[in-house]
Amino acid sequence: MTVETRPAAAAARLPGRASRLLAPATLGSMALLVWAALAWAPEDLEQGPPQRIFYIHVPSAWVAFLAFAVVFGASIALLATGKQRYDQIAAASAEVGVVFTTAVLITGPLWARPTWGVYWSWDPRLTSVFILWLIYLSYLSLRSYLPDPARRARFSAVLGIVGFADVPIIYLSVRWWRALHPAPVVLVRGGPQMPGEMLAVLMFGLATFTLLYLLLLRIRIDVQRAREIRGAA
Amino acid sequence: MSGWLRPAILVASKDLRVEMRTKNVVTAVGLFALLVVVVASFAFPTSGQGREGVAAGMLWMAFLFASLLGMGRSFAQEREESCIEGLVASPVPREAIFLGKLISNLAFTGAAEIAILPVFLVLLQLQPGAGLPLLLLAVALGTLALVTVGTLLAGMAVQTRAREAILPLIAIPVTVPAMIASVQATSAALNGKPVGAAGSWLLLLVAYEAIFLLVALATFPYVLEE
Repeated sequence: MTVETRPAAAAARLPGRASRLLAPATLGSMALLVWAALAWAPEDLEQGPPQRIFYIHVPSAWVAFLAFAVVFGASIALLATGKQRYDQIAAASAEVGVVFTTAVLITGPLWARPTWGVYWSWDPRLTSVFILWLIYLSYLSLRSYLPDPARRARFSAVLGIVGFADVPIIYLSVRWWRALHPAPVVLVRGGPQMPGEMLAVLMFGLATFTLLYLLLLRIRIDVQRAREIRGAA
Repeated sequence: MSGWLRPAILVASKDLRVEMRTKNVVTAVGLFALLVVVVASFAFPTSGQGREGVAAGMLWMAFLFASLLGMGRSFAQEREESCIEGLVASPVPREAIFLGKLISNLAFTGAAEIAILPVFLVLLQLQPGAGLPLLLLAVALGTLALVTVGTLLAGMAVQTRAREAILPLIAIPVTVPAMIASVQATSAALNGKPVGAAGSWLLLLVAYEAIFLLVALATFPYVLEE
């Protein structure tokens, strides 16, 4: 395995120059997003205030998916090159992805209860996200059972590839599975088209959450590196 | 592929020979599957409307848990006496080792399932009738899917600190699509439906198998790397 050869330089990067710029930008955008989502965006005529959780929910789902795609890419890169750096990226991204998937699974039911009348429904998207959450929790769990860094990197890369290759087929299987049952009536949504302001806030939310993802990824990678340096010393 | 087949058969025949002598794995898998069916019969309603669907779910819970137990055992035996190091050191491509383990795991799981299936049908008073071809096809394709992913992950699990105890944890989430498709196809079969009634589920199992056989062949060499 390749251990970071410049421990001093790596240590000096904590919390890192990039994240020092990234952090204020993310925090500023988050504050603006909270204001835009809660005050600036128009209220949904049918759903009322609960609809506003959508500006957090959808960006969380986007970041979760982005994070798992990064795990997949970094896992392939690790197996191809054997560079430990890719394992740090994959591990950090999986952690952040699990956090945002958890956010999706909490904000979804909070919105669903007043809107659909139930907290949970085995809807294809909900079920797929739930299974993804389980897959990446098991990914993090596998890591904790592998003390040797080189082996941990290889094995978790294999599971990172298997897990992501599963995504399309999970979605397909759950969709077909649900298609065999009548859809619950509460699921029927005939809402109006999304006004421009709502779309603008959503887009701003996606951008903000992407920044938040990069910031958290950066921090977690630094933590991984620090651990590695401590382990190697 | 042709260069892999002969060594793969050698690896598989070694496993089968060991199994013929000890009968460790097949007994464990069959007994465990039977136990899950028995426990599930107490836990779930096994009479009345929709019982075929419940029975299909019970059968696959039994097959899933039992096959994971078997694959864990089969790799754990390689670990004992450092057999795995011998395998890695032998002039056999890693892909062929995977295929060999896949064949022997299929044989063990398949043998146990063939023994359990009639008992299951009798205990739950099920008569698939015209659904028998679909039932056998669903069991075959579903088992192939479970064992392909299971063999890859079992190879990793036995090399962790938790040994094969971690296998269900990492295998069950990724086998969800295969389980959904197998249960749906089996449920149709137990209702006496012909093969065509579950065509899309069987296709999904074939697609799942194709994807994960490729992924497993590509990644298994890294599982045995030292």
